[in-house]
Amino acid sequence: MIYRAPPADALLAEPIDAFTAVYHRPSGQTHLLVEPAPEILDALGRDGLTLAKLRAALAERYDLTEADDLAERLEELVAAGLVSAA
Amino acid sequence: MSDADRPDDQPNGPATTTRRRALMIGAGAGAAVLSIRPALAQTAGSVLACEIPVPDPGRAGSFIAPDGSTVPAGTQGAFAPPGRAFKGEEVKRALAGSQLPGTSMESNRAYVNYIRRLQRGQGGFTCFASLQMPRA
Amino acid sequence: MKVRVGPASFRVGSAWSQPLAQLRALYADYPPGDSVPDFTVRLEPTRPWRRWVRPSVAIAGDYMLPEAAPLPLAHALLAAEMAMNLQVALGWRRHLLLHAAAVEKDGRALVMTGESGAGKSTLAAMLMRRGWRLLGDEFALVDLHNGSLHPFPRPISLKNDSIAALAGEGRWGPELVGTPKGTIRHLVPDALALAGMNRQAMPAMLLFPRYGFAPATRAVPASEAFVRLTAASTNYANLGEPGFRALTRLVREVPTVAVDYPDGASALAMVDEIWG
Repeated sequence: MIYRAPPADALLAEPIDAFTAVYHRPSGQTHLLVEPAPEILDALGRDGLTLAKLRAALAERYDLTEADDLAERLEELVAAGLVSAA
Repeated sequence: MSDADRPDDQPNGPATTTRRRALMIGAGAGAAVLSIRPALAQTAGSVLACEIPVPDPGRAGSFIAPDGSTVPAGTQGAFAPPGRAFKGEEVKRALAGSQLPGTSMESNRAYVNYIRRLQRGQGGFTCFASLQMPRA
Repeated sequence: MKVRVGPASFRVGSAWSQPLAQLRALYADYPPGDSVPDFTVRLEPTRPWRRWVRPSVAIAGDYMLPEAAPLPLAHALLAAEMAMNLQVALGWRRHLLLHAAAVEKDGRALVMTGESGAGKSTLAAMLMRRGWRLLGDEFALVDLHNGSLHPFPRPISLKNDSIAALAGEGRWGPELVGTPKGTIRHLVPDALALAGMNRQAMPAMLLFPRYGFAPATRAVPASEAFVRLTAASTNYANLGEPGFRALTRLVREVPTVAVDYPDGASALAMVDEIWG
């Protein structure tokens, strides 16, 4: 399963205190994201990654806590229509 | 969206030390994504309690042809108005395949076709539109 | 009859003459409407014979939301006001709409959001009496490009005890008894509000008032304000991208405060204190 983020111009993002408000142009929907969702979107990019590769990419940039919950965080993004799973 | 890499540059040194910031993957205070739901459903109060008149008051007295268009009263093959507005709940079920209350199979089809053809500005349109929304 | 309120113009047609007479009296100090109105509202009998027998008023207009029950003729004025609110709520796209009262002093505006019945209309009317310029009691219109507020000063809808609390000066509509929300009376905005109905103001503070609690003040984080305001907007979802930009700008640039108050006097004192 490859997880992909939307193309760069599909999302408008505005930081609002600890959150990031995101407008998804294709769906017209608005979401409020909090860590680690923005970081996941950033790491996935357009080409996408498998769950394992994503975990590795994040581990390279950050000190991860409760990394086993990554699949759950990905599912939230998929359910919101912000990440495609194929 | 956030890059916390902060390389320490050592003069004359080949290596850069990166201090990475912590990233919490666990759920913490809840899910990491909150999706905003459209406010129209809230404006309507309980959407399923809204009503769709057949036909709308501007065409009161018209009959409903089998294809859902409104025709003069008494037109051959057309159906008299049902005499009551239908509730959003009833229309939602009819759209999914069941029958509007108090109708025959043919008159039900005519009324449902009428509802499907509603345009913005006609009575009941907003109620019909909100039935289509995923979180009505 | 035709009337212009702020940026929007209305035309009201009616099967009966009495509601039109009441509307003309209520809007006597307003500018006349445009020849081509933005919104048309019609007061119609629910059935043809209900024009004369137990007259029953149904609202029709460009934008419709089926109401729970039609109103008796005595409350036709209320029906017309509700219908005009509905047209704006569903059809206005030139501004981001928030369910909010707004008042202005010294060029800065205070925006008070809340559900119907939260007390924002009463608070707005009280502040108006104390010299604030009323921008509106039902909708705050936020400019999509620069975030300023456009006035929309409709007659203030006051209910039950608030009517006595505000009794006195000003032009009032008729007392409407036994409506679904109790007794209602409309108070026409004062000369300062009507004269300024095209003068915009920048918001300086967002308020979430709660009536009937011990006095308390709390700063609200912008993220919480953002989520609550998406629910308080009737057209945020329809506007799409411009709505997103306007609302994020609003919560980032304007501080938000939640205020609990037990009565009107406390509310006014608290507003004075936080306004600075």
